[in-house]
Amino acid sequence: MSPYILTLTLRQIASQRRTFVMLLFAAVPLLLAVVFRIAAEDGEDPLTFLGEGMEGVIVALILPLTALVFGTAALGQELEDGTAVYLLSKPIPRLRIVVEKAIAAWIATSLVLIVSVVGTGLILLIDDSEFRAIAAFAVAVTLGSLAYTTLFVCLSIMYNRALIIGLVYVFVWEAIVTNLIDNARYVSVREFTLGIAESLADVPAAVLDASLGAAASFLLLAAVAAVTTLYASYRLGSFQVGDQT
Amino acid sequence: MTSLPTPAAEAGAATPPDRAGPPPTLEVRSVSHWYGNLVAVNDVSFELQPGITGLLGPNGAGKSTLLHMMAGFLKPSAGEVRIVGESTWRNPDLYRHVGIVIEREAVYAGLTGYEFVLFNARLQGLPDPHEATRRAIALVDLADAQDRKTSGYSKGMKQRIKIASAIVHDPQVLLLDEPFNGADPSIRLFLMDMLRTMAAEGRTILFSSHILEEVEHLGENVLVVVAGRLAASGDFRAIRRLMTQRPHTFSIRSSDNTEFARALLSAGIVDGLDLTDGALIIRTSDFGRFTVEMPRAAQRAGIELTEVDPLDESLESVFSYLVQA
Repeated sequence: MSPYILTLTLRQIASQRRTFVMLLFAAVPLLLAVVFRIAAEDGEDPLTFLGEGMEGVIVALILPLTALVFGTAALGQELEDGTAVYLLSKPIPRLRIVVEKAIAAWIATSLVLIVSVVGTGLILLIDDSEFRAIAAFAVAVTLGSLAYTTLFVCLSIMYNRALIIGLVYVFVWEAIVTNLIDNARYVSVREFTLGIAESLADVPAAVLDASLGAAASFLLLAAVAAVTTLYASYRLGSFQVGDQT
Repeated sequence: MTSLPTPAAEAGAATPPDRAGPPPTLEVRSVSHWYGNLVAVNDVSFELQPGITGLLGPNGAGKSTLLHMMAGFLKPSAGEVRIVGESTWRNPDLYRHVGIVIEREAVYAGLTGYEFVLFNARLQGLPDPHEATRRAIALVDLADAQDRKTSGYSKGMKQRIKIASAIVHDPQVLLLDEPFNGADPSIRLFLMDMLRTMAAEGRTILFSSHILEEVEHLGENVLVVVAGRLAASGDFRAIRRLMTQRPHTFSIRSSDNTEFARALLSAGIVDGLDLTDGALIIRTSDFGRFTVEMPRAAQRAGIELTEVDPLDESLESVFSYLVQA
């Protein structure tokens, strides 16, 4: 079974203007790192700056927004413009369609995030050889991308306005509700990603202080990816053309 | 419902269900679909055998909804659609036997025509997708343009490449929603010939259209849908006869309406007339004779005609008449 849907989707993503915009967006931390290198005063720790940037910019903003853009467009755009019928009218399992679409969105999101994390890390830490932290953060955003993209692919099958619903999840649920209600962190991909980053990087709490432990983060992230993929496949099997809510 | 006699299944037939004969390729059993309070398709039943059938009806009559249910893209609110004996809802394996051409123009913009059809061939799991792609593109006569991006195709070319993608796996059943939209007359005739040949080879083809002439050229058998209901089914010629023999109404303005009314009545070419504010409204059931004799009557009476307007020529009025017939 060759991944024709995955290949076509990656080709579509590569030719879209939004991909270029997301790459520009992902370059923001790199610029901040350059400014830090130029303007930082003695005693300011580049690893702490990277940890703050990871938590406050990369995981809080760039990761979810990039995943939202690629995740909702991978299949949602085809459902909206009508080209999805070329997939839906084929004798292939709906799970295969969802998996290939989600992997395409995951690859695109991960690449953008890895460029952002590794680029920023190298600019800040090249002299200190703190490569473990850089690698750990890269792995964390890659895994975080998986959960976010499967979640947003699923939303795009369920709702016409998946982009808006995704924005509400990121900026209301993850950014505000998680801070107000302690248990909300168990349904926050952002918290899972930070938990993985902290556990793999093994950095002091001053650099990165996640609210979830390693095991819980890995398990919950895997659960989100699995459940949203399976549910997306179920919903796509019952998808009614022209009848999306 | 006007249920007209239909020729035997040899050249394709749309028949009411429960009729003796070979098992139908496509069965629509008491199918309805509603969106909230709006009933789009209302208790429609018919069966199709190999051959071409036209699904005729005005815009908004429910043709696309019906086709979407047949294609497995919409769940019937009531009833069931079966193709080769299997339900079409939540049954992707059935698409090995079914080809679908949707009305929307959308094709994958970044691909060439060849790549687009090849993509469809590969997803069908065909043993030799390249050969199947070449064959399908040749059938729609697009080989010369197959290496161009589909984004640069005309509307008619997009229709043809969509048809190529739908027939690439040589389906037993082909469902087409307004397939001739945007095609120029020569391409339209070419596609009609192609579909006729495919039907003669034993496939079941159903196409929707809101244009009488398209159905007349292609579909010996026709299903007429009006306001979500099956208004008529059977041989197109019988339905056409009903259409041409229906009463017609015209509004006429002339130099002397009263005198012209008298002339028309004495010529015996009108069934009734009304003199209204500045216009003469006439009704006739013999459209052909009226159009020939009416100008002659005016000439004989020395009356100058300033306006002759048909009042009921819209498709909707034609179909409404069929429903009442």
